[in-house]
Amino acid sequence: MKRYDLIVIGAGPAGLSAATEAASHGLRVAVFDENARPGGQLFKQIHKFFGSKEHKAKIRGYDIGRELLKEAESLGVEVFLNAPVIGLYAEKEVVARHADGVRHYKGDTVIVATGASENMLTFEGWTLPGVMGAGAAQTMMNINRVTPGERVLMLGSGNVGLVVGYQLIQAGCELVAIIDAAPRVGGYGVHAAKVARTGVPFYLSHTVVRAEGTDRVTGVTIGEVDASWQIIAGSEKHFDVDTICIAVGLSPSTQLLKMAGADMAEPAAGAGFLPVCSATGETSISGLYASGDVSGIEEASSAMIEGRISGVAAAGKLGFADAETVETRLNALETALSALHEGLFAPRNRGKSVPLTDEGIDNSQHLLKNGYLADDEVAKYPGVKRVSGVHPIIECTQNIPCNPCQDACPKQCIKVGANIVALPVFDETSACIGCGQCVAACSGQSIFLVNDDIGDNLASVTIPYEFLPLPEKGDVGTALDRSGTPICAATVTDVRAAKAFDHTSLLTFSVPRDEYMRARFWKKGAAV
Amino acid sequence: MSAVDRTRDIGEYVPAQDDDMIVCRCEEITKGEIRRAVHDGMYNVHEVRRLLRCGMGLCQGQTCARLVKSIVARELGVRSLEDATARAPMRPIEMSVFANDGGGE
Ligand SMILES: Cc1cc2nc3c(=O)[nH]c(=O)nc-3n(C[C@H](O)[C@H](O)[C@H](O)COP(=O)(O)OP(=O)(O)OC[C@H]3O[C@@H](n4cnc5c(N)ncnc54)[C@H](O)[C@@H]3O)c2cc1C
Ligand code: SF4
Ligand code: SF4
Repeated sequence: MKRYDLIVIGAGPAGLSAATEAASHGLRVAVFDENARPGGQLFKQIHKFFGSKEHKAKIRGYDIGRELLKEAESLGVEVFLNAPVIGLYAEKEVVARHADGVRHYKGDTVIVATGASENMLTFEGWTLPGVMGAGAAQTMMNINRVTPGERVLMLGSGNVGLVVGYQLIQAGCELVAIIDAAPRVGGYGVHAAKVARTGVPFYLSHTVVRAEGTDRVTGVTIGEVDASWQIIAGSEKHFDVDTICIAVGLSPSTQLLKMAGADMAEPAAGAGFLPVCSATGETSISGLYASGDVSGIEEASSAMIEGRISGVAAAGKLGFADAETVETRLNALETALSALHEGLFAPRNRGKSVPLTDEGIDNSQHLLKNGYLADDEVAKYPGVKRVSGVHPIIECTQNIPCNPCQDACPKQCIKVGANIVALPVFDETSACIGCGQCVAACSGQSIFLVNDDIGDNLASVTIPYEFLPLPEKGDVGTALDRSGTPICAATVTDVRAAKAFDHTSLLTFSVPRDEYMRARFWKKGAAV
Repeated sequence: MSAVDRTRDIGEYVPAQDDDMIVCRCEEITKGEIRRAVHDGMYNVHEVRRLLRCGMGLCQGQTCARLVKSIVARELGVRSLEDATARAPMRPIEMSVFANDGGGE
């Protein structure tokens, strides 16, 4: 039987990170993935990542995937594609399917990094073509380059629903609404706000009543739910749509771990079974690790760190790295991982209402209910200072693990500090030169550059813009407020695209001076 | 697998309005069939799966496993329920390929 020091199952961010980490300590590593392309979810993720610079924040998911692959290849990791693992046994025997047959392999250590699958929801008509997982829609758009439909309703306001919703708009679909049965937006406020300002309404405490159509989706009826999740009579609303995307969470793909006999447990009754793991991801079977989403749903950023943790642990276990090397590496990785577990979206805050930010400022309830900040609360946050001349307005108001804005500014105008979940602060005593680096670098697209007086009683607003075709200087259009409501005429005065901006263009338009604190999006043409 | 308490009284099967809704798309199993199976004595997802084949189709339960589990749990009036047994082959595979076992070569 072909033997490897480490066999990794799944070539997503966790698996690839585990493989490169282990290979860098000298292990002979094989990775199996059932897909034709490696990268797992990463290659579908076309947005800039959150996190810190050391952990690839501000880089788009697919670029992170490419970097990881290159690193793996240069370290001699063998990657088997189109190779689903169909069996895993306690002795760490791995059975994989290749084109026309199956083969058996033995790993001295095995890391299972099989990720997760999308949860589904049943309602009348849910089996009609046109109802699909948000992840499926994302695969269609970003891998296969076809739009899933023309008019789409998104069910689920977590990060997956928000991110995929935004990508649907980028792909040219009309997103008619984002709905969620929960009373609050589940994902990052900055993700919600960038969708809301294009004019997409949010319906919280709403769910799908039925999908309409006979042989495909032609419409959807949604309704408001009461405290016991029953539809309130008379609250139904209808939309003409051809696609309904479901983003109601993921379930870890733990079957191989179960098959191997690893102990499973539920964190709480009914929460779903997860492998019982040590801090390094080792299961109840010595030398068998679980890493990434399969050990509990998180994000690609944490999956990559978890993968490295398991990778170095495997190296230590087999004697490729001495105890001291392993410990130093583990300490660094665990510190990075715990930084990602802080803030408003920390695991301990899940499902809870958190009234104040770490700084003691109100967490915007308006943002949680509508997907955008109310006009009168924006100035409460430390990224927003009313000064004259050109300066950034940072509408990043929740404690999330992210800090690219701080590194982006050549003039040190923006500070997040050592604690990466702290709110970014605009230092009004510094001299902003209007370079726009912060606007392009912000993963949440929540930094705007304003100049309160450009003459003729006009002000200018610069927004991050990721839609095609790009508007041109001189284009006449309409400024929209944070809710996507047209507020005034606005003429494009500048369009900046630079390699360093990595596909985020900076669109500058002029508005009457009293509108620059409200104008946050731009559409071509006069308001209807 | 933990023992099943078969003395549990779960009451009579009461037809519900959405009983004809398909839950397992691959094998076309409805919510009503699953609920009825529980009342016929299948007190865990494993037995329901063996009786009805839900979760044994092309997607191998990727879509419905969680849905089936929640229906069975609700019918039994329990919060927590074990997942079905995981067995090789984990993915649908043609017999000709499965039989072409190159072993460790
Ligand atoms: C729609 C969507 C949007 C997301 N957006 C973000 C985001 O913006 N930022 C962020 O940080 N995170 C995001 N996430 C989460 C992030 O993608 C995941 O947390 C991350 O990909 C988990 O990495 P992983 O390596 O554990 O699993 P995955 O990326 O899912 O990789 C698992 C791999 O295992 C393979 N595999 C599974 N079973 C087998 C088998 N039996 N045999 C062989 N191969 C197998 C799969 O083919 C896959 O390639 C998003 C997730 C989704 C679904
Ligand atoms: S525009 Fe340039 S100088 Fe001004 S805050 Fe942003 S990055 Fe700093
Ligand atoms: S403002 Fe800074 S911390 Fe907030 S999302 Fe943008 S880059 Fe991240």
